[in-house]
Amino acid sequence: MSENRSIDQGRRNTIKAIGGLTAGALLPAPWVHAANNTIKIGYVSPQTGPLAVFAEPDAFTLGEMKKALAGGIKVGGKTYAVEFVVKDSQSNSNRAADATSELILKDKVNIVVAGSTPATTNPVADQCELNGVPCVTNDTPWQPHFFGRGGDPKKGFEWTYHFFWGLEDVIGVFTSLWSQLPTNKAVGALFPNDSDGNAWGDPKLGFPPVLAQKGFKLVDKGRFQSPADDFSAYIAEFKKNNVEIVTGVLPPPDFANFWAQAGQQGFKPKIVTAAKATEFPAAVQSFGPRAEGLSVEVWWSPVHPFNSSLTGVSSAALAAAYTQATSRPWAMPLAFKHSLFEVAIDALKRAKDLEPESIRDAIRDTNLNTIVGPINFKKGPVPNVAKTPLVGGQWKKTAKGFELVVVENSLAPTVPVKDKLEAIKA
Amino acid sequence: MNPVLPTVERSTRASQVGALLGLVLLIAVISAPWWAERSSQRLLTEFLYTLALAQMWNLLAGYGGLLSVGQQGFVGIGGYCLVVLGLQAGLNPFLIVPLAGLVTALVAVPTATLLFRLRGAYFAVSTWVVAEVFRLMVANTASVGGGSGTSITQTVRGIPAWWRESTTLWIALALGAGATLAVYFLLRSRHGLALTAVRDSEPAAESLGISVERIKWYVYIAAAAGCGMVGALIFITKLRIAPEAAFSLDWTATMFFAVIIGGIGTIEGPIVGTLIFFLLRELLADHGSWYMIVLGSVAVVFMLWIPRGVWGLVSSRFDLHFFPVQRRVRNIDQKESR
Repeated sequence: MSENRSIDQGRRNTIKAIGGLTAGALLPAPWVHAANNTIKIGYVSPQTGPLAVFAEPDAFTLGEMKKALAGGIKVGGKTYAVEFVVKDSQSNSNRAADATSELILKDKVNIVVAGSTPATTNPVADQCELNGVPCVTNDTPWQPHFFGRGGDPKKGFEWTYHFFWGLEDVIGVFTSLWSQLPTNKAVGALFPNDSDGNAWGDPKLGFPPVLAQKGFKLVDKGRFQSPADDFSAYIAEFKKNNVEIVTGVLPPPDFANFWAQAGQQGFKPKIVTAAKATEFPAAVQSFGPRAEGLSVEVWWSPVHPFNSSLTGVSSAALAAAYTQATSRPWAMPLAFKHSLFEVAIDALKRAKDLEPESIRDAIRDTNLNTIVGPINFKKGPVPNVAKTPLVGGQWKKTAKGFELVVVENSLAPTVPVKDKLEAIKA
Repeated sequence: MNPVLPTVERSTRASQVGALLGLVLLIAVISAPWWAERSSQRLLTEFLYTLALAQMWNLLAGYGGLLSVGQQGFVGIGGYCLVVLGLQAGLNPFLIVPLAGLVTALVAVPTATLLFRLRGAYFAVSTWVVAEVFRLMVANTASVGGGSGTSITQTVRGIPAWWRESTTLWIALALGAGATLAVYFLLRSRHGLALTAVRDSEPAAESLGISVERIKWYVYIAAAAGCGMVGALIFITKLRIAPEAAFSLDWTATMFFAVIIGGIGTIEGPIVGTLIFFLLRELLADHGSWYMIVLGSVAVVFMLWIPRGVWGLVSSRFDLHFFPVQRRVRNIDQKESR
């Protein structure tokens, strides 16, 4: 008998414990709502995983924003405090979608901002579009973002806005860059099978038609599956076709493999312009002496003649402040993170009230000079998209290590050129 | 003292209380769209489809003895049914969920033929290889978006938000509760007896006249169909599908975690395991890589020291069985049994 009772009690306690845990963890109390004198800005960023290098300036940027917005902002005559809700996408599009849905449904943010590659901006924008939440994204070329989400150039999207350069810009910058040196115009391509690689290698919208038109010969062995550790077949093909220019859009580890193997196998191109892989100082330092002379597109640098609309800080001052605060060299995402919040805050300030429709209309009417250049969503190549200027740069050796120097500005003459493109020496 | 005849018991007091409790929970979840926050509904949806995945893996590994690490292959195919049948053929996304089950079951037939030639570790590794082959095939098919993936927002756009979210929850409930009950009734049936026999000893089961091969075959196909349906539902909520997301090993890792922590080879185990998984996730998800490290360590600790999982501990300590699948003899003379 006594044993039976103890079993029963045990059961009851177990059931109670399980029930309590479930209710507590899974069902947030419905009466907990955001205080109505706070504006919440949701921010999704790949803080961990292979894209983490894009999110390096996050902590610094958020710190600056909190400082700049300490007094709150005025919307429709009422002052609100600003709160940032930050979510990590773990460089994974599933997680980015979940994080955005959490921001919308649980944190009930007023606006969502996000950046860094299609793996982040596309799922975030999709969730916002369907749930009717205003959203601003950047740092993904506009074609993979717009067409990758099934965008219709006639209709555009209702809730989601994006600003960055496009394939036409990067193709223009790369070809002008390559024309600075005498070569045989044979270009070897390294395009992975991902959103970027497929867009760049697209036979209609990508590199192939423009290169053909400008007299370059493209050697494209097809899309490779990233991560890739063996590029011998590509190198052999490039050597066979006497390739002097190598281009691509590939993650740093893939490019590191390619570049090391090219060295071992005696393949010596004159120009190597690889997007993504050589955009970041940290990745470039890891290539050692072989980093010298690599070239890349530049979306922002300390010499860009723009100031922040929020803090008034110049490009050079922003880069210097970042280096001082973190003892890291500047990287291009720094200003783009900053500009995301510039556009969001500017729209909020202009909004009639905090209704999603009012915020959306304010974003639509954006006409703002930001730290990455002027942004106007009405002047874009397709609806909901604004373009920012793009130039070309080369990594040059200085006393302090490698520095990215602007060497080409034919598409954005306002950005000063500091030097000329030189052939890779090694 | 009158002698009491021993009786064979197939239900326990816990199972009767549990059935009532289950019914209450069922009604609570069905009516959730009218009383719960949208975020709670979404969490419930996620919980239920994860439970369905865990039950499927439990059926495979816990009862069928088929240690598959490639179930993400079927989740992915289910998800891509949305692209082909929804985005391209224009079907209603919710209608695609059962169709995805059918498609994955069909794909599983030739896959099983191939895989069942292998045993043990070779089988496990090959399931993974097959899932990778599926991923690469999809990544190289340009019409479904290739390696870039594609947004499926268009297929769900016309549905009003309330209906979209409620229907998603109801389908998740049908899958989660359905998977649990399906496994329960399967195990209580004649085939269940055969399945438990196979779990305990294949040669012994075979010697009793059970067709081990056929039983495993059915289990594999059923689990594939289950994962396929869940896959379609998952990507209705994610709105964007890409090969590396659809065929991510994470799906199988989650199933594995829930089943191992909860208690493999029990029906309650995956439920408890899924609860623990969500608790840990809610507590730790904002800590980045540490979250993964904690999950991994917890799984290792359980595999080494608590191989029967949380439910194994609870049920042996308290004699608690919400889903009794075994027959037990009760009321044997007290003196004899002691």
